Amino acid sequence: MTSTPFLATREDLELLIGEVWASHVDDIDGLQPAPPHAWLSAAGDRGEPCWSGAVSVTGNWRAMIAVDLADPSARALARGMLGLDESEEIDRGDLGDAVGELANIVGGNVKSLMPGPNDLSLPLVANTLLEGAAGLHPHVILDLAWRDAPVRVRVLALRDSSPRPDSPTEATP
Amino acid sequence: MHALIIDDSRAMRSILRRIVTRLGWETSEAANGREALDLLERGLVPDLCLIDWNMPVMDGYDFVVQVRSEGQWRGVTLMMVTTESEHTRIVRALAAGAHEYVVKPFTPDAIIDKLALLGLPAEEVPA
Repeated sequence: MTSTPFLATREDLELLIGEVWASHVDDIDGLQPAPPHAWLSAAGDRGEPCWSGAVSVTGNWRAMIAVDLADPSARALARGMLGLDESEEIDRGDLGDAVGELANIVGGNVKSLMPGPNDLSLPLVANTLLEGAAGLHPHVILDLAWRDAPVRVRVLALRDSSPRPDSPTEATP
Repeated sequence: MHALIIDDSRAMRSILRRIVTRLGWETSEAANGREALDLLERGLVPDLCLIDWNMPVMDGYDFVVQVRSEGQWRGVTLMMVTTESEHTRIVRALAAGAHEYVVKPFTPDAIIDKLALLGLPAEEVPA
C-alpha cells in the first residue's frame, strides 16, 4: 500500500537523534539545530568528503531514512561509539560500520512510528551522499550541527505518504 | 559470568562490551546468528546472549529459535538488543524464548536494570 500517512514529525526526529547521541556517543557536545548545508550529491564532486548511511523500509510504508555526516563528524561518531581516544586512528571499515549503525538505529525507530507490518533493510553506507530510490521524495529533513560540522537526517517516502500538517515537507537543499 | 554479544555492528558490540565488562563480565562476540551458533556448538557456554535482530546470514530471531530448540542451551539467558520496537516483534521474540528485550538506543542503565531483573550480576566492579 502506498497511501500510508507519514506520522513522524520534525520534533520526533529531533528527540530521537538527540537520544541516540546521548546514549551512544560519549560526548558532552550535543547536536544543535543548523541551517541547511550545501551537501554535494554527485559522486566525484569536488568538495568536503561526507558519509551517508541509509536503511530502507518496505511493507505497508515504503521509505528510506538516511543520516549524512561530514567526514570529521563521522570520524568523531565512530570514535565515540568505539570508545577510542581522539589520537587513535580509525579505519574506513569502522567509519562505515558506525555510520551504518547510526542509520539503523534512527531508521528502526522511525519505522516503529509507522503502521506495519514493515521490514527494515540492513544499512547501506557510502563515502558520498546516498540518494533515494525512484519515487521517493523528501518528507522531513533535519539539519543539525555537531562540533560545528553538519549532520543531516532525511526521511524520503512515496509522495502520497503525506506528512502531517505539523511535519513540514522541505525540498532537498 | 560470560556474555556472548551478537551484532553485525562492531561499534555496537563495542558499546555493549564496555557496559558488561564494567560489571565484571567476560565477553565473546559474533557478527551474526550463524557465527554465534558456531561458537556454542564448539563448546562456548555463555550465561547471557545479547542479540541484535537484523543481521546478515542469520538474524537474531532465528538464532533464538535455534538455541531454544536445543536442550543443552536451556540455561542461557537471551536478551534481544535491537531497533525493532514494534509490539508484534517484541511478542514474537519473547514467545520464541527470549527473556528480555531492549530497544536501541539504550543507556547503560537500561541494560544494567534488565540484568538485575534477570538476577544476573549488575553491580559495577572496581577497575
